[in-house]
Amino acid sequence: ATSITKPSSLTYPRSSFSQSSLTFNKVSTFRPKSLTVSCVMTQQPEAAAQSTVLRPDSLGRFGKFGGKYVPETLIQKKRKELDSILRDYVGRETPLYFAERLTEHYKRPNGEGPEIYLKREDLNHTGAHKINNAVAQALLAKKLGKERIIAETGAGQHGVATATVCARFGLKCIIYMGAQDMERQALNVFRMKLLGAEVLKNQICIVVSTVVLEDYTILVRAVHSGTATLKDATSEAIRDWVTNVETTHYILDVRLIGVEAAGFGLDSGKHAATLTKGEVGVLHGAMSYLLQDDDGQIIEPHSISAGLNTRWEIARRAGQIGWLMGRNKFMSPFANCLFSLVIIYKNAAFKRLSRLEGIIPALETSHALAYLEKLCPTLPDGTKVVLNCSGRGDKDVHTAIKHL
Amino acid sequence: TISTVSGEKNPIVGKFGSFGGKFVGEVLISPLAELESEFNSVLLDHDFKMEVETALRDYVGRETPLYHAQKLTDHYKNINGEGPEIYIKREDLSHGGSYKMNNVVAQAILAKRMGRKSIITATNMLRKPSNVQLMELLGAQKVTKSIKQRKKVKVKPVEGSFQAAASESTREWISNLQTGYYLAGTAVGPHPIPTMVREFNSVIGKETRRQAMEKWGGSPDVLVACVGTGCNALGLFHEFVGDKNVRMIGVEGGGVGTNTGGDQLHSASLVRGEVGVYHGAMCYLLQDEQGQITKTQSIASGLEFPGVSPELSFLKDAGRIECYTVTDQEALDAYKRVCRLEGIVPALEASHAFAYLEKLCPKLPHGAKVVVNCSGTGYNDAATVLNS
Repeated sequence: ATSITKPSSLTYPRSSFSQSSLTFNKVSTFRPKSLTVSCVMTQQPEAAAQSTVLRPDSLGRFGKFGGKYVPETLIQKKRKELDSILRDYVGRETPLYFAERLTEHYKRPNGEGPEIYLKREDLNHTGAHKINNAVAQALLAKKLGKERIIAETGAGQHGVATATVCARFGLKCIIYMGAQDMERQALNVFRMKLLGAEVLKNQICIVVSTVVLEDYTILVRAVHSGTATLKDATSEAIRDWVTNVETTHYILDVRLIGVEAAGFGLDSGKHAATLTKGEVGVLHGAMSYLLQDDDGQIIEPHSISAGLNTRWEIARRAGQIGWLMGRNKFMSPFANCLFSLVIIYKNAAFKRLSRLEGIIPALETSHALAYLEKLCPTLPDGTKVVLNCSGRGDKDVHTAIKHL
Repeated sequence: TISTVSGEKNPIVGKFGSFGGKFVGEVLISPLAELESEFNSVLLDHDFKMEVETALRDYVGRETPLYHAQKLTDHYKNINGEGPEIYIKREDLSHGGSYKMNNVVAQAILAKRMGRKSIITATNMLRKPSNVQLMELLGAQKVTKSIKQRKKVKVKPVEGSFQAAASESTREWISNLQTGYYLAGTAVGPHPIPTMVREFNSVIGKETRRQAMEKWGGSPDVLVACVGTGCNALGLFHEFVGDKNVRMIGVEGGGVGTNTGGDQLHSASLVRGEVGVYHGAMCYLLQDEQGQITKTQSIASGLEFPGVSPELSFLKDAGRIECYTVTDQEALDAYKRVCRLEGIVPALEASHAFAYLEKLCPKLPHGAKVVVNCSGTGYNDAATVLNS
């Protein structure tokens, strides 16, 4: 069994990485205080565990994960309108680009190696994949007759994407952002303002007032409760939504998953590797892996890239990955090598793609790129690897330059 | 021939009426001739075209959308609910964030064909210090941003203006004629540069024609683009030069002053300039009574250029294009307007084109189709806008 160490002095453990095995011993719950809707806990599913088709059941469960713990899960299909917006506004489809020089880089001395393709989500309007989700949800909100959009954001990317679509669709928008994150991402805050945002610095932000405005304005509120990061912002967002559920749609952010940020190393206690080191609990409405201490309190994750700083998986995707992990199919090959890989190579990966392909990736994306160093030597000749280039890295140049 | 404007009476290769030409020192005559012959041959080369097309599609992300801007359209409707339909050509979605990649990619492929090992170019780095970091991060191997650099990326700061950088990079080219390739990022230069840069950007107009046909079964009625040196404007306009029913409007940087003239600095070569020779080409340019190049100014650094494309100069004289200016303040207002209404952040350069819509739209008939070239993203202009 793996226990999570409490954060202590910042030593940089390099070789003392222990094998992480996944345990399900501790299941505790975390509920926002003023939640007025009931949460449904899933029971142990039966044959679903045997199936290899990753579809949720009618309650939205993937095995024991996922589930409908939040009040609203309507899915409408307005494909034609959505497709037109994705094409003309977002700029889809994005290319699947054969990265010739990256492929060359991974060729072995005998000339063999995999072929690397990049899915160019960095070319989307707003520079990341997040707008796909934001656009679809905005359409959904309009269909549902909602006038108000709320969203939470960590790095600001989701906030900018949400503010963007709200401007486009003429919706009132409120974005919750932790005060610490707001400082780190000041330029993104400004961009949200340009898109119509008004930044309100509230000391305490619990009750949401329905402010009627002349024009559609987007409000960004500084959340000063707790540690003022995404986790707190998310709790506030849920509180808002629950209070205003009649008029409000909550645009959930589907987070980057697959390769996690190991921060200062998985044993230091200062990392964001929820899936690798976390344990099962409920946060924000869905059962998923969390970083918890022995008292069931959430541990603050740590990573250089704000977007990967929290692993609060609300969407079904989390349940899906958790299920796969439970089946030991997915993350175990990652677990052993993630630690040194991410710390040492992430910045190098950022630089490598810039130099070899002239594409500057987001720091978040660089985590995935870093893994290629470990992966490619093990792949047979001609294997086709598709890497999701989830965002562009203009925003990260200042940070990256310091570490290069 | 491709080197002239359609409809010209007695076309001479490399000249657009009396504009254009090759006003360069002896030492550059032969390299330019080599470039011209190489350029002419690749235009007929299927493999070259395929390589460029693939790069434009998979690397740059073409084709870029022709986006119907409903909220901008509504903004320009009069009390009766009448007004033109505004479409935005989304060059801001290209890799690199602007239309410039079209030309750079094609020329880089050309350079490789010619067996060149290094790329030399000049760029304006005013007010965009973060771009320098980006340039240093990128290698110069495959595709380069238009900067003054060698293969292993050395950004050499040159005292003074873009003109100084251009002269310096030309000197660099002359000392590396065998292995170096001078990548012109602007449409101003000795023949074949204006033609080449226009040709490689003409994909914008070609796509627009096809997209317009798909969307409304016709051609655009009005094309609007900002003009610095004229490459993005020509990229959109060139395809439609022969279509007499398509109006073309170029919008230049009016700077701090007013649009009616005065002593304030600006960058309006076409609107307020005179004919002269600049960077090896006869064109409209901004000069004082002694014939010295005047200082230019615009909130959009990409528009700060004293000369302008010889081809656009010709089109202006021929009455084929209309040219206007827009002040810094009008451009800033347009930047904010497009952000707020459409969630699209236009470059400050492109904001000049959007700004002109304020004057244009009230005069257009109901349902007229207007295509505005959003030549780049204003993501990195946020700091400038904040400080203004």
